[in-house]
Amino acid sequence: MAVNTRERIGRFVLVLLVVGLVTGCASASISTGTPNAAGPGSRSAPDSSSGGALSHASEPAVLTLPGEDWGYPSPFAFYSRGPGYIRMSLLFDTLTWKDEEGVIPWLADSWDVSKDGIAWTFTLHPGVTWHDGVPLTVEDVAFTFDYFEEHQASFKWSWPVDQVAGTEIVDDHTITIHLTEPVAGCHESLVGSLPIIPRHIWESVDDPIKFLDAGAVVGTGPFKLVEYSKEEGRYVYEANPDYFVGRPVVDQLVFIQVENQALALKTGTTDYASFSGKEMEAARVFDGDPDYQHIDGPSFWVLQLVFNATRPPFDNVDLRKAVAHAVDRERIVDQVTHSGAIVANLGIISPFADWYNPNLPAYEVDRTKSRALIDEVGMGDDSVTLITTAEYAREAELIQADLEQVGIQVELKTGDRSTVDGLLREGNFDLAISGHGGIANPATLRVPTWPASTYDNETYDRLYQEQASTVDGERRRDIVLQLQHIVAEELPVLTLWHPKMRTVFCPSKLDTWFYTTGGVGFGIPLSMNKLIFLRR
Amino acid sequence: MRFVQYLITAFVLVSLNFFLPRMMPGDPLSCLIGDPGADAPILLTEEMRENLAEYYGLNKPLVEQYRDYLFGLTRGDLGWSIYYNGPVSSVLLGRLKWTLFLGGTAAIIYTLLGTLLGAVSAWKRGTKVDVGLLIFVFSLGSWPPFFLGMLLIIICSFKLGAFPIGGAQSPAAVQAGGLEQVKDVVHHWFLPCLALVLTHLPGIYLLTRNSMLSVLGEDYVRTARSKGLQELRVLLQHALPNALLPIVTTIAMRLGFAIMGTMFVEVVFAYPGMGTLIYQASAARDYPLLQGGFLLITAFVVFFNLVADLLYARLDPRARATWVS
Repeated sequence: MAVNTRERIGRFVLVLLVVGLVTGCASASISTGTPNAAGPGSRSAPDSSSGGALSHASEPAVLTLPGEDWGYPSPFAFYSRGPGYIRMSLLFDTLTWKDEEGVIPWLADSWDVSKDGIAWTFTLHPGVTWHDGVPLTVEDVAFTFDYFEEHQASFKWSWPVDQVAGTEIVDDHTITIHLTEPVAGCHESLVGSLPIIPRHIWESVDDPIKFLDAGAVVGTGPFKLVEYSKEEGRYVYEANPDYFVGRPVVDQLVFIQVENQALALKTGTTDYASFSGKEMEAARVFDGDPDYQHIDGPSFWVLQLVFNATRPPFDNVDLRKAVAHAVDRERIVDQVTHSGAIVANLGIISPFADWYNPNLPAYEVDRTKSRALIDEVGMGDDSVTLITTAEYAREAELIQADLEQVGIQVELKTGDRSTVDGLLREGNFDLAISGHGGIANPATLRVPTWPASTYDNETYDRLYQEQASTVDGERRRDIVLQLQHIVAEELPVLTLWHPKMRTVFCPSKLDTWFYTTGGVGFGIPLSMNKLIFLRR
Repeated sequence: MRFVQYLITAFVLVSLNFFLPRMMPGDPLSCLIGDPGADAPILLTEEMRENLAEYYGLNKPLVEQYRDYLFGLTRGDLGWSIYYNGPVSSVLLGRLKWTLFLGGTAAIIYTLLGTLLGAVSAWKRGTKVDVGLLIFVFSLGSWPPFFLGMLLIIICSFKLGAFPIGGAQSPAAVQAGGLEQVKDVVHHWFLPCLALVLTHLPGIYLLTRNSMLSVLGEDYVRTARSKGLQELRVLLQHALPNALLPIVTTIAMRLGFAIMGTMFVEVVFAYPGMGTLIYQASAARDYPLLQGGFLLITAFVVFFNLVADLLYARLDPRARATWVS
């Protein structure tokens, strides 16, 4: 009896072991195949000799970057975050793109805007081909705009295609995009971020979200997708030898999942690491190490104290000013971020953006002034609630202590991000700590308390609408400066800090890293612009 | 009768799996798009929300969604993951195989090792071996698993360079395939497995030791000894099988939850697995994936409970009597 049982357990254990080994060792990745396998004639294999001729080293240049799963990199399937867009942008091109200076021609060599700002005409670069060898035509471009507009319900990225009234093919290389109304910076926001997709593949696709074939990643971009593993967060890209601005200097680009970017870079597991805000301390291990270099960049991100200005007590602007005089933002930056951040612009917009207004009212830390304001308004003995995620609990505690000194009792509540966002959207809070990115772009000013909408000001909304349709750059900038002034004056939010950003890399592998002006695509503040991998 | 009980339990759990995620504040669409913490945030407009809600069937009445969910289950269709944008079944299976591999092998090792050490400790009670083992295991058990994992990485990967710092396999080995890939997978498996074994060993060890101690005092052990049997035979054939009863229950319970139990290792070693998947699914309020994930956990727990019940009946004739009636 006893022997029997032991045998059974033994057998069971053996089965488990075998199952475990078999399932574990089998390749865990979805191989997408080479998209142009259908047209073998058009493909030139990137062997080591041809790679060597074009890249720095004699071996194929493999660059390994840290990352995680950001979805299948088709325009409709990547996860709606910056890194997802970046992975897609390595495969697909846009009519215009951006470098460290600003907007540059890309698939379009040049463009013209009609005087009324409604008709934008683009001239295509000749001789561009898709990864499968089919030439890119002006019909593909027209199809792209139509397809995105038709499938607006299916995408999860902010391509403002509803601004497009229609497209008009002028000749084989020229296309005019007609807008519904004048749009400032259309060549940057819409045209500069919308990936051009091949008509011959997508015209038969009804549900783009669920289209996950190898064809879904056929673009004109500098790389082709060789492998993607969702569970392991791995992407393997190989250089597109026929890329229209020249073959990339990197033969193979690999993204792997790592837990600690600094450790991964230090052990040579990866060739690049990116740090921001509170993580900046970890980047110090590379200081003074000759094997590494770094560049610093703006993050276009802001952490703010959001007021609920639609209900007492903070519907009173003087009370919000009292809070601004009480909260020591500099101390928060020093003690919580350990100088991984800078004190934020009171007008939300990043100090590193062209739209920044440096001449805003300031609120020096002055408890007497703060208390005087509170006494004037009169604020009962009731405590106010401050909601935050655990991530910003330290900031919340310091704010709580600051406010207690001027007689405002604060009750802290922490929840996970979805809970806090939910409360913000419902307007069910007095004070909240919440952060968001995208502050290189005036569009971020639309709702200053976003994701809450707890601030009403008709003048502000009217000004916002006005700048959004002002094509004249100077005039538009004026209005954006005004908007920041209103935010700093009225304080729907008290901005706290902007994180610093740092990219550390091995210059022996690749030393062309840079931060894109205003962010990649439509404001992604990562130093991972595809231009880095190209000979320029 | 016991099977009917299991069926009812399963149905209740399946229903809970549907309703619990929906009771959390927040919703999948806001998490999908409107995450304000993102570097380049996207404003989720009302129109976008309505469109996507319709696409994912989230605008239907709850009863209808529940019906669709149950209907899908009967056809083996778990739905489409909103966050991961793929069929729930394939998203789950992609992770499950790694969890089974890592968690399964670790469970085998810590079970065998823990039982063995526990038995030896009880047998040698009061000797230097027993005390030594006790001290070793207690000090092991007092370390937080996270810390243990990081320590292993710092010593074995960073200082010694003997193991990769994380991941399940390296891209080069995946491309090479064959034996090289197998070696690479084992190479990546070693440290996380060691971390799991070291974390789970103390529990099994202490349980076995206690259970053995009570058994070793029984009359039948004395009888076996007085028959002149060798000590080792007394231990393995007479004492251990009886001591196994509570151990089997504990192990079965542990295996049922093992699917989530590798979470800390997944995080520290950037290893793919179910723990981080369920965590992310819950953070993203990905209802279909949560339902599928919870279902899988439920299935595991129920299955291993059943296994424990059956094994128990085999091991203990008294339990068999209740099972049959």
